Formats: sequence, structure tokens, C-alpha cells
Amino acid sequence: MIIEIGKNILRFLFFILLQVTIVRHLDLGIYFNPFFFIGAILMLPLQADKTLVLVIAFVAGLVVDMFYNTMGMNAAACTFMAFCRPWALQIYSPAGEYNADATATVGSMGVGWMIRYAGTLILLHHTVLFYLEAFSFYGFFTTLAKVILSSIATLILILITQSLFFRNVS
Amino acid sequence: MSGIIAFLRKFYFLVLFLCLEIASLVFVFTNNYYHEAGFFNSSNRITGGVYSAYSGILSYFNLKNVNAQLAQENTRLLNLVSERKDTSNHKKSPETNPFGEQFNFIPAGVIDNSTNLPNNYITLNAGSEQGIGEGMGVISPQGIVGVVIKTSAHYSVVMSLLHKKILVSVMFKKSGTFGTLSWNEELTPHANWPGGDYRFATLAQIPMSEKIRIGDTITTSGYSNIFPKGIMVGTVYDYKSIPELYFYVIRVKLSTDFKNLKYVYVVTDLKKIEKENLETTAENSLNDKKK
Repeated sequence: MIIEIGKNILRFLFFILLQVTIVRHLDLGIYFNPFFFIGAILMLPLQADKTLVLVIAFVAGLVVDMFYNTMGMNAAACTFMAFCRPWALQIYSPAGEYNADATATVGSMGVGWMIRYAGTLILLHHTVLFYLEAFSFYGFFTTLAKVILSSIATLILILITQSLFFRNVS
Repeated sequence: MSGIIAFLRKFYFLVLFLCLEIASLVFVFTNNYYHEAGFFNSSNRITGGVYSAYSGILSYFNLKNVNAQLAQENTRLLNLVSERKDTSNHKKSPETNPFGEQFNFIPAGVIDNSTNLPNNYITLNAGSEQGIGEGMGVISPQGIVGVVIKTSAHYSVVMSLLHKKILVSVMFKKSGTFGTLSWNEELTPHANWPGGDYRFATLAQIPMSEKIRIGDTITTSGYSNIFPKGIMVGTVYDYKSIPELYFYVIRVKLSTDFKNLKYVYVVTDLKKIEKENLETTAENSLNDKKK
């Protein structure tokens, strides 16, 4: 149990550090701003208490906000994503139930499931974040393009990270 | 009462979600940088530490560029000093900076910077202990950079020129006609230039009487006391006339290369500090008299 908690904390540190150092400086132009650290929230145990996930997501969002100087925006987006997570897990559940040892990784659930589950939640997170950041519906379609392209970038980064670092989880 | 408890028990997840969401939105919309003594920005010890460690590693890869920039800046300053020595018998000593006695410059290193977000900030590795205060201007050897909005003991956060809320009073170098520079494309919707480009800003409110040529130099006007007069801002890249408003809007190519920002100078306005000191002493003496 303690090992499990430690693993999750380490995973958060790993994702957030990568986000604020390397991913933040990838500099792929204004349409690609991946917020890949949300992968740590997506990869929390599938059986985790949804209230706990909500609080963890809020705190993780605040930490990233500190680095981005976007006080509250990531917190709002992450909280919203965590709120939708139980629903996403439910609609994508394979034949009713998840195995007790299943994790939200490609190795455990397959690429198709991961793309559907992570893709949906990433899209929700990015929609909230980018429209809050734009703070107006001026340039509605520009922001929409940013949401979609950045979501794709985030999804790809999460899949790559999983295949590099979290292969043995299955 | 029991009804409320039953309701909370049933919907606690939704209620908690709404509470956290409202808390976040309160943070977003009450975040007034100038008057807030908050912890949640990149000038605190954790974020500052991570950024300076990271930029410490990366700085080795940029030494060549940085050296070239500093050499260029040195040459420019040497030329300025020799000009002053040669051409005039100034009573002032040559050590005084070219902006007279009013401005002092504090060097600082850039430990974090972004150019592709809707609102960009820069984190510096110098803070209030080095004499940096909120509201001070930040310049680079190439041109203006931004305004300090938050300081801690050893770090400060700068609102980059690439931020929707920044407005800078600038002027044409040759004619002195002044206007307002911004990076918010929403302020000049009739121009219809794409926003979010780190190389360009928009200059509005230039009267139709001004004769504009592509490549004209734009500098700071010095009206705001944040930047000294005559600091390079950029050059005219494109312009459009808005006949119904009798104004030009101008697309300015910024002289500062925001992608390769390593060292900057924070501008302290000595007269502003003197003025503020005077005001506080005056206030104190008034309060003393009241007692």
C-alpha cells in the first residue's frame, strides 16, 4: 500500500518536472502547447477514490500554475477533468468491469482504449484551459485549433512516455 | 437541517467539485499582480529553484551566443563613451550612464521565458535583495523586454512584452509622434493581423498626418517613467489606415529576440524613488503634526 502511494507520488513529480522543464520549452509554435503532466492524473489507479482524485488534480493543477504564472487556470481545468474521469472510465469500461490489477496504461488496457480514454479527458482539460486562458470568444476558432492540436500533442507525448518508462506496469 | 446533510451526503462529489472549481476561478479572476502578496507565482523558492537549476544546465549550450551578444553590447557602450569624450566638453564625468542621472540599471539573468503562450512571463534570477522592485522596466541590449510584476528576495517575475495586458508608450524616433504599443490583437480588430506572434506587436493611435515608411524606428517615449526615453522597441513592418478613425495601425517588428533572451537589465528610476521617499516623509510629518 505504502509502495503504491510512493509510486504515485514519484509519478507525479516525474510528470510535473518534465512538464515545467522540457515540455514547456519544446517551443512548437502557438498552436502546440501540450500539457502532458495530466498523464499523471490519468494514470492514477482505476479503483482510486474519486474524491481523492479530485483533490489531487486540484493540487497538481495549482503547482503547474505556479510555474506557468497562470494562477488557477490549470487547477480549474484539472479539477474539471478529474470530475469527468469516473464517467469516462464508465463509458469505456471493457465488458462491464475492470480487472482488479488493471492500470490506465497501454500495456494493461491496449492502445485503442488508452487513446479513447486519455483522448477524451485531455480534450476536456485543454478546452477548459485554453478558453480560460484566451478569456474571450475573440478568435474562437484559433483557440479551437489550439485545443485540438495541443490535445493531440499531449496524447502522443503521454503514449510515448508510457511506452518508454511505464512498460513494466502490465 | 437533516435535509441539508442528506443532500450533502448524496451529492458530496458534485459539491466538492463545485467548491474546488469556484476556488480556482476566484484565483483566476482576482489575480491582480500589483497588489497581491501571494505565493503562487514563479518567484517563490520552489519554482525559482527548479528554473535556476534547469537554466544552469542549459546555459552552457548558449555561451557562444551570449558572449557574442555581450561583446556587441560592450562595443556599443564603448562607442557611446568615446563619442561623449570626443565631441563635447561635458562637465559631467564620463562614467555617468547615457541616460543622465535619472536611471540605474541592475543586471539579471533570465532563468525562465516563454514566447508561445497567450500571455508570457519571464522569471529572473535577481530579486528585491538586488534592488528590483515591482513596476520597474526591463530591457535587453536589443530593446525593451517587459515590466516587473512580482519580486521575492532572490527572484522576480516579469510581464513580458508578449502579454495581452501590457501597454507601452512609444514614439517615432525621427518625428516624436507617440502612440501605444500592445501585443493584444483584440485591441486592433480592424487591422486583422494574426496574433500571438513573438516577433510582432501593434502600435495604435498614430494620426493620419504622420508620414510613415517601412523600416522607421520606434523607441520608447519616456512618458510612463517605466522606461527611459529612446530605448529601442522595433521597426515598422507594415501599416494600415483606418479612415473612419483617422488613425493608422502599425505592425512593429520587435528588435528584441525573445527566443534568445539570456541577460537583461532592470531599470530603476532614481527620480521615482526620490519622489516616493519625499511623499512618504511628507506623509509621516503630516501624521506627526496631527498627533
